[in-house]
Amino acid sequence: MNTGGISRRRVLSGTMGALALGPLAACGTSTGAGSSDNRLRVAFSTSGDRESLDPHTSTLFVDQARSKALFDTLLGYDQDMSPVPRLAESWEPDETGKRWRIRLREARFHDNEPVTAEDVLYSYRRIADPATGSPAQPQLSGVDFEASGANSDRELVIVLSEPDFTFPTAMGAPATEIVPAGTTDFGEPIGSGPFRFVSFETGGSAVFERFADHWNGAPKPDELEFVSVDEEDARVSALLSGQVHYSHDIGANSVATVDNDSRARILATPYSTMQAVAFKVDRPPFNDNRVLRAVLSGVDREALVKVVLNERGELGNDLFGKGLKYYPEEIPQRERDVDHARALLREADAEGLEFELHTSSADPYFEPAANLISEQLGEIGLKVRPRVGPSETYYSDIRKKGVAGHTRTATLPITSYLSKRLRESSVSANYTGYDSAEFDGLYDQAVATRDEKKREELLADAQRHARNHSGMMVWGFSNWNVGVSSQVGGLTAATPNSTRWARFDEAELG
Amino acid sequence: MTPAYLPRRVTIAVLQVLGVAVAVFALSALLPGDTAVVVLGKHGTPEQIEALRRELGLDEPFGQRLLEWFTGLLRGDLGTSLLTGAPVTAEISDGLATTAVLTATTLAVIVPLALAVGVLTGLRQGSPLDRTVNSVIVMLDSIPEFALGLLLVALFSLRLGWLPPTAAGLSGTSLITHPAVLVLPVAVLVCKQLCALARQIRIGVAEANTAEYARHARMHGLRERTVLLRHVLPNAAAPSVQQFARTVDGLLGGVVVVEALFALPGLGSGFVDAVMARDLPTVQGYALVFAATTVTVNLLADITAYRLVPRHRGSP
Repeated sequence: MNTGGISRRRVLSGTMGALALGPLAACGTSTGAGSSDNRLRVAFSTSGDRESLDPHTSTLFVDQARSKALFDTLLGYDQDMSPVPRLAESWEPDETGKRWRIRLREARFHDNEPVTAEDVLYSYRRIADPATGSPAQPQLSGVDFEASGANSDRELVIVLSEPDFTFPTAMGAPATEIVPAGTTDFGEPIGSGPFRFVSFETGGSAVFERFADHWNGAPKPDELEFVSVDEEDARVSALLSGQVHYSHDIGANSVATVDNDSRARILATPYSTMQAVAFKVDRPPFNDNRVLRAVLSGVDREALVKVVLNERGELGNDLFGKGLKYYPEEIPQRERDVDHARALLREADAEGLEFELHTSSADPYFEPAANLISEQLGEIGLKVRPRVGPSETYYSDIRKKGVAGHTRTATLPITSYLSKRLRESSVSANYTGYDSAEFDGLYDQAVATRDEKKREELLADAQRHARNHSGMMVWGFSNWNVGVSSQVGGLTAATPNSTRWARFDEAELG
Repeated sequence: MTPAYLPRRVTIAVLQVLGVAVAVFALSALLPGDTAVVVLGKHGTPEQIEALRRELGLDEPFGQRLLEWFTGLLRGDLGTSLLTGAPVTAEISDGLATTAVLTATTLAVIVPLALAVGVLTGLRQGSPLDRTVNSVIVMLDSIPEFALGLLLVALFSLRLGWLPPTAAGLSGTSLITHPAVLVLPVAVLVCKQLCALARQIRIGVAEANTAEYARHARMHGLRERTVLLRHVLPNAAAPSVQQFARTVDGLLGGVVVVEALFALPGLGSGFVDAVMARDLPTVQGYALVFAATTVTVNLLADITAYRLVPRHRGSP
């Protein structure tokens, strides 16, 4: 008994000793073992064991940020989503828009091998293969690989089965990174990005080190560490305490906390995420355009931005891509008109109509928006019941079920959005069942048009049609917020999916 | 202890674990969506989802999948993750080390602390010290773990800068080399679990201290310390051992919140990830670990309590 008592006391004193030493061990900014003073630590939410360093199957922002550190794409996107050069130094179509000649800059992979045209062709074939399961597969599915080929190590020709003068948007898309020809194992990946692989644990940390021979110059941090912090509160705390230098995806409610603290700042990018409700126009009641127009007129978009986005966002006009290239600014803002909405419902004999509005916690704004929209549509005589579904299967569920559901889209080139979400053939992401020969014709004609001005007009016409008939009610655009330590310079507010977003090679630790 | 007691309890324990596993399997099958839907997410076409479903064997009937899982279990094989293709045991062991470090550290703090609080207040029942200490531990128990964690982080990490607010980048045994990251999560778990254990010890000590055998021992001139160690504590221990088992259960439940709040990639986080991904073999593996731990701890507590009761001491 006595012996046990002594043992317990020893255990207790040892534990307390360790706990008392805690504050000393906590001094300093990093808890990572063996970290360099010039290690940039960035926090993202992750998907646990689902993670991989295969850039072609990446879907989450953390995957894309890691891919950007380890690999390069041929092109990138500017803030308005127009293409800018990365590994490709030039790209030119022929007169038909079917043959693209691409010249590569001089760049090397981390094993010192040069990046060649064969690497590009191998990567694009792998992405276009449905078996790979790449989200970029639809963008490269129109490439005729039999007819495409390398002219030399640094020049290739990509042949498309249909004319497409907007093909450069495919070459800048996320998940189109160039990997060395023949790569199938991404356990210890070799890329040509600014950082090279050191270690990675699924659901845990990824550590990369500077690649001094990067074609764009050596990155500023010696090391880059991605840490997994799923809870937003924890990401904010980790940032403010100095544990991490960058916290991805800060919600509107935490922005004020960071704004009022001198230890960090918010980089807010406007117009970054489209907030919308998809009304299915291939089935009742919204296959009656009068009912659709009634809900489009019955929603108070200003109130939604004010209440749901806490005024940290912009008004939507039932169009994707505010602020981006090809956005038709000239279309007047849709205003709320309760009397007009009621009249349309009367005309369609749909007064008192009931339907469920699908929503979930997949986005923090979905549920509050569903409640407010239900109230607003109640004022025009509709009975709308929000129905909350599980976030992890939400997008798949709303594709099949119901007549209306919240959705969102981060910034993409407008042409990518139109082809992915609104064309009849885009079965995986056409949430409204919009199937319009007129829209498809205008879109196909636009991408096959060489003249930029004419293409812009055709795309504006296509968007005008979609705005009134596609069933996509875009009520606003939420800001995209990331938190950055006040000790870090060189990072700027950037649109998601743009070249400047997550540009950690340019971060300077002060 | 009767000869039949132990085998009977062990048999019941095994049946309990298997019952939980079957219940979890059945309940998981009721969840909307499956791994194919979750993996392919926004980008999957119905054809791709169907193909992946066939590849993962999700198109097989429920009964057949349950049978396959059971036959694997009999061979000691928990199956492979639908998501990663890695053995479920490997998936679980990653988080197990983190949770083991967290719960072992918590128990190392909570047991002596509850004992000290329980004995001190039990011996001075009704005193100002008793009332004050009880009020404090009841108050700590009444604050939800999430709120308590946020409060502690706001004070000790963000305002005072004494402790790190998360374990970002650390897991498993590497936590031991950075004990500071454990202080706040352990403090939250201790605050939540201390009350019941300390109060159970307090009641036991108070009852035993005024029991006839204790008075009798004192009348025979035994020193107070001897009365406490030989008579009061052993009699107070039996119900406290069972409360200790409930404390371990409570810790296993509490780690889910604490691991999320402090970015600790343990069993709780892994279990939640597996459920979100509808990764049924991995969910089953976690359910088995949780059920086996709970049942084993309760079994040990029952046996220990049985042995501690004086009238059972003479039993073989």
